Amino acid sequence: MTYSKLTGLSLAAALVFSTGTALAQEHQPLADVHIHYSHDAWEIFPPKKAIAILNEAGLKYAFVSSSSDDGTQMLYAEAPDLIVPVLRPYRRRGELSTWMHDPTRLESLKSRLAKNTYAGIGEFHAYGDDIETDVLQGVIALADQYELFLHAHSDAEAIHLIFKHDPDARVLWAHSGFEDPEAVADMLRTYPRLWSDLAFRSDQAYDGEVSSDWRALFEEFPARIMIGTDTYTPERWPYVTTHAEWTREWLADLPKELAENIAWKNAERLLKAR
Amino acid sequence: MKSWTSFSLILTFCGFLIQSALAEEKVSFSDSELALIRSHGPWPVPTNPDPSNRFSGSEEAIRWGEQLFNDTRLSGEGNLSCASCHQQELSFSDGLTRSTGTTKVDRNTIALANLRLNRWFGWAGRSDTLWAQSIHPLLDSREMNATAHIIADRVINYEDLKANYQALIGINPLSESPENLMVNIAKILAAFQETIQTPPSKFDQLRRAVTDGASIETNQAIVRGLKLFVGRGKCSLCHFGPNFTNGEFHDIGLPYFLDNGEVDTGRYGGIELLRKSPYNRAGAYSDEPIQSAENNPSYFMRLQHRNWGEFRVPSLRNVSKTAPYMHNGTLKTLEDVVHHYSTVDIERLHADGETILQPLNLTDQEVEDLVAFLETL
Repeated sequence: MTYSKLTGLSLAAALVFSTGTALAQEHQPLADVHIHYSHDAWEIFPPKKAIAILNEAGLKYAFVSSSSDDGTQMLYAEAPDLIVPVLRPYRRRGELSTWMHDPTRLESLKSRLAKNTYAGIGEFHAYGDDIETDVLQGVIALADQYELFLHAHSDAEAIHLIFKHDPDARVLWAHSGFEDPEAVADMLRTYPRLWSDLAFRSDQAYDGEVSSDWRALFEEFPARIMIGTDTYTPERWPYVTTHAEWTREWLADLPKELAENIAWKNAERLLKAR
Repeated sequence: MKSWTSFSLILTFCGFLIQSALAEEKVSFSDSELALIRSHGPWPVPTNPDPSNRFSGSEEAIRWGEQLFNDTRLSGEGNLSCASCHQQELSFSDGLTRSTGTTKVDRNTIALANLRLNRWFGWAGRSDTLWAQSIHPLLDSREMNATAHIIADRVINYEDLKANYQALIGINPLSESPENLMVNIAKILAAFQETIQTPPSKFDQLRRAVTDGASIETNQAIVRGLKLFVGRGKCSLCHFGPNFTNGEFHDIGLPYFLDNGEVDTGRYGGIELLRKSPYNRAGAYSDEPIQSAENNPSYFMRLQHRNWGEFRVPSLRNVSKTAPYMHNGTLKTLEDVVHHYSTVDIERLHADGETILQPLNLTDQEVEDLVAFLETL
């Protein structure tokens, strides 16, 4: 079942969605597109507590994936208007460098996709010709079949290969490959269906001031950039709020429309693009 | 130099007791390994006085600083001194998992030694001078629980303190603001702490032997451990130089939740506190000319996401005597520390973050060897 089919109404509702807290209303709403809620996180922050953190951060959307996927499902059940479920191919976090050689991962993805609602597949780790493995090829095909975006923690070579195999894929490039803004811009120019995720990057701004090279990228691609925290350990969950405050600081250095795009509108654009 | 003479004698004596000669060892070192070994000395490293502390290096300040370090009158309730946690007989640490002042705090007591080589102080680097770092335990309600006013009152009302202050600072403490007085006391404390140095160790003899062909007797386990340290273990990448630390902060995959369920933000919080602190090196209380202070590294540091949960890379000098280990004291022995790196959970590290760290998968013998080497430091 695709995310768009099930949650078209939810998304529409979410356009006017308020987190319900006074704090959130005072701030620029954000779509945090890089949240993980894995087994060790949900043990410490059960769903209600986790949702409270996301609301405190003033999030409009949280793109969540987890190892295993059970965490994502728990959060989605708790707050379907806030959580954008993304299907991660890992049972536990320890599989990020081996999963592409494990055919059972593909079967697991198929089973989950048949049963649950997702907007994307990822965040997965794949570099270079990892994309040529049967598992990754299967993932790309599943994304096409279910109209899902791919959240890829990848180098540029892997991104090239994804689009070589499926030019119509929608790809959210995690951390934008930790490339410099010029290299990110090159990739965005080359692939109109590539979106940039800035999670775990600190170089775009300092003390609330956006650097000139990043500003140039944002201005050239106002509809393609998104922000994210990356809660890769449970201890990172309390950082979602801190990260949101930091993000708002540098977004305030941008023109209002551009800031809103990066803050949350581009996340909607990714979800609506087909 | 304080307190280390006896350790030094013991180490030297042990060195002569160790059995097999280096010349008989089967271990060989590559050129790059030899260069790394060479880079861990010579020791001690010459240091200059702290430009932010006008009392740094003053014999009078050092003498009074040592007395103040042991003086409980600087604490709120008059029952705790710096030495309550930084105990000389325990290498200026306390042997506890986490420090306990008026109550238990969140972090392990850092052993005090070779502090003049530090760029930042404390597990989170919340201070860029030793005197500023010395203020924190004085004021922390969980540690010595004093205030600037309490410290000023004590200095003013105890004749010996008042006389020493006037003699050394040259100002009647009655005419000082409590803040100024407290900062001066902290600078005197720092002047003493700067003198706490570890003496040349068995490693320093070994280094000369390995790199310069000097004569030494040691055992194979230590030499094998040294090779692991500079070779496959890549320990030297962070624990580098004569003081065995890069002076920076890293995430090594240890949990950093606090007892109350909140997070010890580590270096992230340290940077935030340092930037706000009136006591930083470029601040009004510093004795350093502003042109110089503005060129110090802390002036250029940038807060980054990776700083969340990073903690100091401690010096390994004298490490065998400063258990337990890590910012929260959760690793009880050096064996535990080596096991941690041998089996480090890289899933707790960001995929593009601490890429240096990979599980070493050491054998039991290799763990023993690495520990044997660490014990020479």
